[in-house]
Amino acid sequence: MTTSTAPTDPHDHARDATAVQLAWLRRELADWQAAGIVDGEQVAAISGRYRTVEETRRFSLGRLLLALGAVFVGVGLIWLVAANLDQLPPLLRFVVVASLWLAFLVGGELAVPRLTPGVLGAVRLLAALAFGATIFQAAQSLQVPAYEPLLLGLWSAGTLVHAYATRAVMPLLVGIATGLIWWIWQPLAHAGSGAGAVLTLGTGAVLAVSLAVVHDRRLDTFAFVWRTVGSVLVMVALFAAAIPFTTTDGFEWNPWLVLGLVVAGAAATAGAVLARGTARWEPVGATAVLGFSVLMVLWDTGTDTSTVDLADWAHAAVGVAAYVAVAVGLAALGTLRDNPVITVIAMVALVVFTTFQSFAVFAAIIQGAWLFVVLGLVFLGTGVLFDRARRGITANLEGAES
Amino acid sequence: MNRVITVGVVAAVQAVLVAVAVAPQVSARLTGETHTFRVETVDPIDPFRGAYVTLGYPDLRHDASTGVGGGQGSLEDGESGDVFITLREEDGHSIAEDWVRERPDSGPYLACDDSGWQIHCGIESWFVPQDEAAEMERLLQEGAVAEVRIDSRGHAALVDVRAE
Repeated sequence: MTTSTAPTDPHDHARDATAVQLAWLRRELADWQAAGIVDGEQVAAISGRYRTVEETRRFSLGRLLLALGAVFVGVGLIWLVAANLDQLPPLLRFVVVASLWLAFLVGGELAVPRLTPGVLGAVRLLAALAFGATIFQAAQSLQVPAYEPLLLGLWSAGTLVHAYATRAVMPLLVGIATGLIWWIWQPLAHAGSGAGAVLTLGTGAVLAVSLAVVHDRRLDTFAFVWRTVGSVLVMVALFAAAIPFTTTDGFEWNPWLVLGLVVAGAAATAGAVLARGTARWEPVGATAVLGFSVLMVLWDTGTDTSTVDLADWAHAAVGVAAYVAVAVGLAALGTLRDNPVITVIAMVALVVFTTFQSFAVFAAIIQGAWLFVVLGLVFLGTGVLFDRARRGITANLEGAES
Repeated sequence: MNRVITVGVVAAVQAVLVAVAVAPQVSARLTGETHTFRVETVDPIDPFRGAYVTLGYPDLRHDASTGVGGGQGSLEDGESGDVFITLREEDGHSIAEDWVRERPDSGPYLACDDSGWQIHCGIESWFVPQDEAAEMERLLQEGAVAEVRIDSRGHAALVDVRAE
């Protein structure tokens, strides 16, 4: 009988484990040693095989300051472009900005062996922001209209290429941020609508979650980022869909919306096929949220806030129930995938959502101080129930996996 | 060596994307036919915004409506998006013949956009260095023409503003 082994680099015998897992292992090893099951040499050999993933991602104030500085320089560069480098003619301005971009990109990547991770991250961030400055300066120099979503899309594509070619997180963050704005803006550029926004948010969520699943075990840091982004989008999409004012008014199909759906579908399929174990459910779950969000938008109970009738109550109740379910599921996912950010996002989103919904429904009935009391109770109740449910689900899922 | 190739590829791809961003304008400059239009300043009191002067094209205006940053008027047909201005020759200059929403099959035309209330064709502003500002102001008041290159898809690039 063979057991499966995690992929290991032949030159590196250390296996990855989180700090929590290692702490548990060391406690157990001490217990086994005390019971005589293993001796000191074996304890050393076992614990020596593992290395914490945490240790390679050390957070420090120095890195934070460098990153902040890089962001300021990058934003400043783009601001310079927007405000016109008054004394220089358009061509020279472009040359200056393009030179900065190439200097950061080429200089940063060629100096990789000599730079500490903090400085390297800062330089890569500057390269990504300077690339954006170059695109916008080129557009300004040649009088392309600046309010074009396409420019953001091109910026995103370029930085994502940089990120994947060098396996660097900073360009990935810039690429995802700009890409997200483009993904939502482009289809809605000519005709905005609530339904369109929910659709773009939902397809974005499916794409992000599917990419996270595909990256699992191949590019763990990238998977972490995509999963976090996907979780935020899931919560925002569902939030928007549950608001009674989000209707199909002004909705128009256009090629970008269709393309978004096709890409999301393809990504979800790829994710479901390439995933292992419970991870398969993540793209499926995101697609289910997309479908549910669309249904909530189509269920139009009217936007008259002066009366709260049975249909409005039902709409709110269904929305809240679904939101709670998704939030709890995400919180459990965060624990399982060792991604505490997702758990926090899910909790914050749920609290905001529940309070928002309560306000929308109760405000017509209760006024003033009593409204605060009721909302506070809703807050508390949500938090307590949420925490209980999260722990319950996590325990169940971990029991099923072991 | 691997690293150099990787950086080279990334830089090349990003350069291509920058080119894509400005492809219509570059296409106009390289492959476009030259047309001349009469120009005037839009706001005689403050023609210069930073180092850019906003140009008005009296022969391209659809109506008398105005907006910040110039423009060729507005169609007021309840739609917004692409606008195409077909052109013809008159007295050695090009003037507008018609303003349509569908891309014409042939003939010189400008591809414009009216998503921002006014019709913009990408030729409304012209960079003038500080030391040439006074000269340009005088030129525009006396009567000037703009040299515009327009390619087969209606993309336009403003290449010169000179005396008539």
